[in-house]
Amino acid sequence: MKKRTWLSMLLVLVLMFSLLAGCGSPAEEPAETGEPSEEPAEPSEEDVVITVAAGAVGQELELTQMAAQMYMDDNPGVVVEVLDTPDLAQDRLGLYLQFFEAQSSEVDVYQIDVIWPGDLEEHFVDLYEYGAEAVVGEHFPAIVENNTVDGRLVAIPWFTDAGLLYYRTDLLEKYDLDPPETWEELAQQAQVIQQGERDEGNQDFVGFVWQGDAYEGLTCNALEWIASNEGGTIISPEGIITINNENAVEMIDMAATWVGTISPEGVTGMAEEDARAIWQGGNAAFMRNWPYAYSLGQEDDSAVKDRFDVSPLPAGANGEPAATLGGWQLAVSRYSENPEIAADVALFMASYDMQKMRAVDGSLNPTIMDLYEDDDVLEAAPFFGSLYDVFTNAVARPSTASAPNYNAVSTAFFRAVHDVLNGNLDAATAFEELELDLQDITGFDIE
Amino acid sequence: MKKHRKSNFAKREERTAYKLLVPALIILLLIAIYPLGQVFYTSFTDRQFASGQETEFVGFDNYRRLLSVTVQQLEPLVDEETNQIVIDDETGNTVYERPIDVLPRDPIRYREYRQFSLMGNQYVLGATDVDFIDAIKNTVVFTVTSVFLELVLGLGVALVVNSNFKGKGATRTAMLIPWAVITVVSARMWEWMLAPNRTGMFNMLLDRFGLTDGSIAFLASSSFQLPAMIAVDVWKTTPFMALLLLAGLQTIPDELYEAAAIDGAGPVKQFFSITFPLLKPAMAVALIFRTLDALRVFDVFQVLLGQSEYSMATYNYFQLIGNRNMGLASAIGVIIFIIIFGFAIIYIKSLGVEMDETS
Repeated sequence: MKKRTWLSMLLVLVLMFSLLAGCGSPAEEPAETGEPSEEPAEPSEEDVVITVAAGAVGQELELTQMAAQMYMDDNPGVVVEVLDTPDLAQDRLGLYLQFFEAQSSEVDVYQIDVIWPGDLEEHFVDLYEYGAEAVVGEHFPAIVENNTVDGRLVAIPWFTDAGLLYYRTDLLEKYDLDPPETWEELAQQAQVIQQGERDEGNQDFVGFVWQGDAYEGLTCNALEWIASNEGGTIISPEGIITINNENAVEMIDMAATWVGTISPEGVTGMAEEDARAIWQGGNAAFMRNWPYAYSLGQEDDSAVKDRFDVSPLPAGANGEPAATLGGWQLAVSRYSENPEIAADVALFMASYDMQKMRAVDGSLNPTIMDLYEDDDVLEAAPFFGSLYDVFTNAVARPSTASAPNYNAVSTAFFRAVHDVLNGNLDAATAFEELELDLQDITGFDIE
Repeated sequence: MKKHRKSNFAKREERTAYKLLVPALIILLLIAIYPLGQVFYTSFTDRQFASGQETEFVGFDNYRRLLSVTVQQLEPLVDEETNQIVIDDETGNTVYERPIDVLPRDPIRYREYRQFSLMGNQYVLGATDVDFIDAIKNTVVFTVTSVFLELVLGLGVALVVNSNFKGKGATRTAMLIPWAVITVVSARMWEWMLAPNRTGMFNMLLDRFGLTDGSIAFLASSSFQLPAMIAVDVWKTTPFMALLLLAGLQTIPDELYEAAAIDGAGPVKQFFSITFPLLKPAMAVALIFRTLDALRVFDVFQVLLGQSEYSMATYNYFQLIGNRNMGLASAIGVIIFIIIFGFAIIYIKSLGVEMDETS
C-alpha cells in the first residue's frame, strides 16, 4: 500500500516535470527549432537569423525590407527578418518593454525613438565595441550625443525628423496669400481658404490638420507651439519645470480655438496618418507633419501631387519658429544571440547608401551630413537643402532631463493639453495643476 | 452526513480520488495561485518593469496612492477691503476658494475630482489618483449599461430565434457573427464607422438626414466616448447573451405553454408566469459571465480611446507598460480582482444562484 502511494506520487511528479519541460523548451531555444525551416532553399546550420523590429508608418516597412534583402544578398548565411511594430510610439515601447522584461533574444535590432536612449540604455550593447567608431563622425553630432549614455553609443542614428508645415501652393495662389509666418496668420489664411472652398461646394474641406490625439505626437505638436512663443520646453535642460508661464498658456489657449473652427472637431483624435489621409485627399489647406509625408504626397495617386510645398512652422507672437526633433535610431539588444552580426546589420542599415535610398524613395531625413549635399537626394526632396537649418536646430523634447521618467512627464503634458483642446479646462488652470504633477513625477523645482 | 457509516471500501475509494486530484491541484497551484500570489507580493513593492533597478518593499504605499480620497470644505472668498463675500458678476454665484489651494499636498498630493454643494456649503472631493477613480467610474458605468442593454436585446433575440420559423438555423448562425469577430478587429471597424468626418458611416448618415454637419468627433469628445464604447460592446456581445438565454429557453418544456394556453393565459401572462421564472437560472449565469467580463474590459478601450480615457484594465496597462510602475500596476490588478470578486458575491447572493446543488 505504502509502496504504491509513493509510486503514484512519483508518477505524478514525472508527469509534472515532463509537462513543464515540454512547455519550456520551444521558448528557450527558438533558434534551434526555427532555423532549418526559415530558409528552405539553403538549409544550413550556419544560417543566422537576425530580427529587426521596425516601424511601418508610410513607406518605412517597405524600405527596411528592401535594405534587409540587400544585406542578405551580400551576406549569404544570414537571414534578416523585419518585424512590423505598432504605429504609435507608446504602443511600440510597450511591445519592446515586454521583450526586455523577458530578456528575449527574439529581436536583435530595435528601431528606437530619439527620446528613448536614456530610458532603455541598459538593454542595449555599446556599438563602439562593434566598430561604430569608424562611421559615427559622419552623423549629426547632436543626435550622436543624444544616443550616447555614459560614453556608450547605445544606438546608431537612422533618420531624423522635424515638424514641418505643409501648404497648398495652388490654394495660396488662388486666394492670393503668402505662406504664413505666424500662427495668427496661419489661422486667418486657413479660415479664408476653408470658407472659400466650402462655399464652392467642397463641404469636407478643412483649414489645418495636425496631431491632436492624446499621445506622444501631441507632445511634439504642443511643444512646437510653446517653443515658438518663447514658452520654454516644459522642463528645461537643467531640470527646472518651466511649463506654467504666460507664453505657454497663451499659445495653448490659442490652439484650443482652432478646434472646431479651422481644424475639424475630430483633430483631437488624429495621429500622423489620420492627418495625412485628409491632406493627401486634397481636403486641407495646411498640415503639420513630419518629412515622410512629402514623398507620399508626390505619388501618382495623391490628390495634392505637385500642388504643395513645405516650409518651417509658423512662429508665435513672441518668438521664432520651432520644430520638434524627432527621428529614429537602431539599437542592438544585449539579449541577442549574435550581437556582432546584429550590430553589422544595424550599421549597414544606417550606412550612407541605405540612408540615401530611404531619403530618395521615402523622404526620410538622413542623419549623415554629407547626404544633404547629395544631388540625387536634393532632387527627390528639395526641401532637405532649403530647410537644412530647421533640421539642425530642431527643439528636443525634455527626455534627457527627465529620464527615466520622460514617458510619465510626456503623458501628463499631453493629457493636460488634450483637456484644454477639448474645452474641458482653460490652459492656465491646466498648467497650474500640470506643474505640480510634473513635480510629483520628477521631483524637480518649479521655476 | 453518513460519514460514520462509511465502509472501508468507500474510504479507500475516497483516498484514491484524492490521489487522482493531486496533479490537477498542483497545476492549479502553479498556474493560478502562484502568479496571483506574485501579483499580491509585487503590489507591496516599488518594482520597475523591464529594469534592473533594486526593488524595495513599500507596504501599502501603492494602495494609498491609488485610493486615497478626501473631502474639504471650500470657504467663500472674502473681499479684503469691504469684508464682503465675493460674488461673480456674470453668474451671480458666490466665488469660493480654489480647490488647488485647499487640497493637502503632503505627504501625497490630492487633485480635484469633483465639486459639490451640500446644505449651502461648497465642498471639493479630492483624490490622489483622479485617473484611476475615473477609470473605476467609467468601467462601472460601462458595465452596468452595456450588460443591461445586452440582457434586454439578447432576450428579444433569443425569444425570436427560439420560435419556429423557416430558416431558423441560418438565422441562429448569422446571429453569432459579431461575436465571432475578434474584438480588436471589430474595434477597428467601429473606429472607421465612427470617424470624425463624412468618411465615417455615422457622420455620413447624420449628415444625409440633415441632423448635423457631419463632423461629430465620437471618439475624441468626452460626451460621446463612453456611449460609443457601450455601443461597440452591445453590438458585439448581444449574440453571446442571446445564445446563453436560448439554451435556457430550450430547457422549458412546451407542455407548460400548452397547459397555459388551455387555461386561457395570453402571451404576456405566459412570459411572466412561465418563461421568466424558469429562465432565471440561465439569466443569472449569463449576467455573471457578462458582468465579470465587462469589468475587465480592455481591448475596446485600448484600441479606440488609448490614453484619452481609461477603463480599469487599460489604466493598469498604462501604468505597467507606459510608466513601468510594476508595483503600482500590481496593486491596480489586486483592486480590480477585489472589485470583481465583490460583484460576483453580490450577484450570487441576490439572484439566489445555487452554485453547488448537491451540498
